[in-house]
Amino acid sequence: MLAIRHLSKTYPNGTAALRDFSLEVSGGQAVAIVGGSGCGKSTLLRLIAGLEQPTEGSVQVGGEAIAEPHPAVGLVFQEPRLLPWLTVADNIALGLDDIAPAERVHRVQEALRSVGLASQGERWPRELSGGMAQRVALARALVARPSVLLLDEPFSALDALTRSGLQDHLVALWEETKPTLVLVTHDIEEALVVADRIIILRPRPGQIDAVIDARLPRPRDRDSAQFEDIKKDLRIALDHSFRHQVEAAE
Amino acid sequence: MTALDSILPTAAPGAKAPGAAGSGRRRTFLLGAVLPVGLAIGWEILVQIGLAEGRLLPPPSRIGATLLELLQGGELFAHIGATLWRVGTGFLLGSVAGLVIGAAAGYSRLVRDIIDPSIQGLRAIPSLAWVPLFILWLGIFEESKIALIAIGVFFPVYLGVSAAVLSVDRKIVEVGRIFRFNGRKLISRILVPAILPNVVVALRTGLGLGWMFVVAAEIMGASQGLGYLLVDGQQLGKPDQIVAAILVFAVIGKITDALIIVVSTPFLRWQDNYERIG
Repeated sequence: MLAIRHLSKTYPNGTAALRDFSLEVSGGQAVAIVGGSGCGKSTLLRLIAGLEQPTEGSVQVGGEAIAEPHPAVGLVFQEPRLLPWLTVADNIALGLDDIAPAERVHRVQEALRSVGLASQGERWPRELSGGMAQRVALARALVARPSVLLLDEPFSALDALTRSGLQDHLVALWEETKPTLVLVTHDIEEALVVADRIIILRPRPGQIDAVIDARLPRPRDRDSAQFEDIKKDLRIALDHSFRHQVEAAE
Repeated sequence: MTALDSILPTAAPGAKAPGAAGSGRRRTFLLGAVLPVGLAIGWEILVQIGLAEGRLLPPPSRIGATLLELLQGGELFAHIGATLWRVGTGFLLGSVAGLVIGAAAGYSRLVRDIIDPSIQGLRAIPSLAWVPLFILWLGIFEESKIALIAIGVFFPVYLGVSAAVLSVDRKIVEVGRIFRFNGRKLISRILVPAILPNVVVALRTGLGLGWMFVVAAEIMGASQGLGYLLVDGQQLGKPDQIVAAILVFAVIGKITDALIIVVSTPFLRWQDNYERIG
């Protein structure tokens, strides 16, 4: 379980990125965080991952406070961020540093297979397409079997076709081990395909604007009436949030 | 899954590239050889048929004969040995100092703030200006020569390594942090591989300068070495010996440079791949 309590982050230059953010995600639940750029959603993920320290508040995973990167928390960045000097297999093995080599090889193979790259382990990151590289990044985050998986706009740099393919793939992978999932995105459809609950974040400083329940049966059909209905609700809520910001700015 | 599989390319891109690139490289090599080889042959013919004298610029055959003569007497190897020893020792001292101090300056803001201004100041001095001081301090024999070469090697290595450490992608370092790599592990698993390509370039630049400075050092006073052959050839009016020594310099310089490449290649395979495809 992921528990975020009264999380605030103000940078030394005075920018308030996040204010009083609280959220509980029970084990095996998937939450999406949606908002425009600068709404503090990336900061939120970095705080949960322990890459940055909050000014106030706390993050707990399974009752344990997170102050620095933790093995139970996996993170996929916006870019694949594969180490170019390691093969695909060795990149994935980064997450298994503490495990016996024989077991590691087995787990890496398993992870490669799970993302459909079983025969690609010996290739270099430079040789991969954007979609393949991001799948390796996904495998690298999942291979250690984290109880919380964080994704920071993971597919935003990919073309539409690859993106929707990977969204479905992510859901399938997630259903295998059901880690608690927090997806940050600006893509409404992506949020709806993946999450049970969607949180709209309002910027400067980032705070919760609305929460939308999106518990649809899986796998989700992007063309179903239900999907379209919630998508519409979500768009209206986002529009409302943006209008609110504009008024506030005036 | 099957839909995803179909997106995958079936063969590695660039799988056919090596053969094609090989023949292209051979063609480029041959094209590049036309001019120097043509000039050498042309000059040889002009001298042979008596249209040119070739006293100040000896034809290839005479240079070859001189080389052979030096080789047969065993003299050449003694000169090469002396020069190689100077370059080797100077390079070792200069590059180790450059690596260590450069890495420290790149890694630590404090170290950089303390030493970088001084080093940049010293760098502004033309290295040959140190020679009189080195001779006073270290004498006219090996030590002052090696010190000069080490200085020449140090600066490019220092600059290259500190810049390489500074330019390591913060995003890649963050990957190390996510996997909880501590100080030493972060250095050995992330920083060292990340800077390696630039370090190799810095070492090659340093070695090039080492060869430049060994010539300067040996011209200024030596009784042995390839640089001595140059001075000796000038004083005794033997241009063939000068050109022969120059050729040996070129060949050995190229060999030592290739040695760095050969040693570093296994560690930079990931980059070679990239070049082949790109």
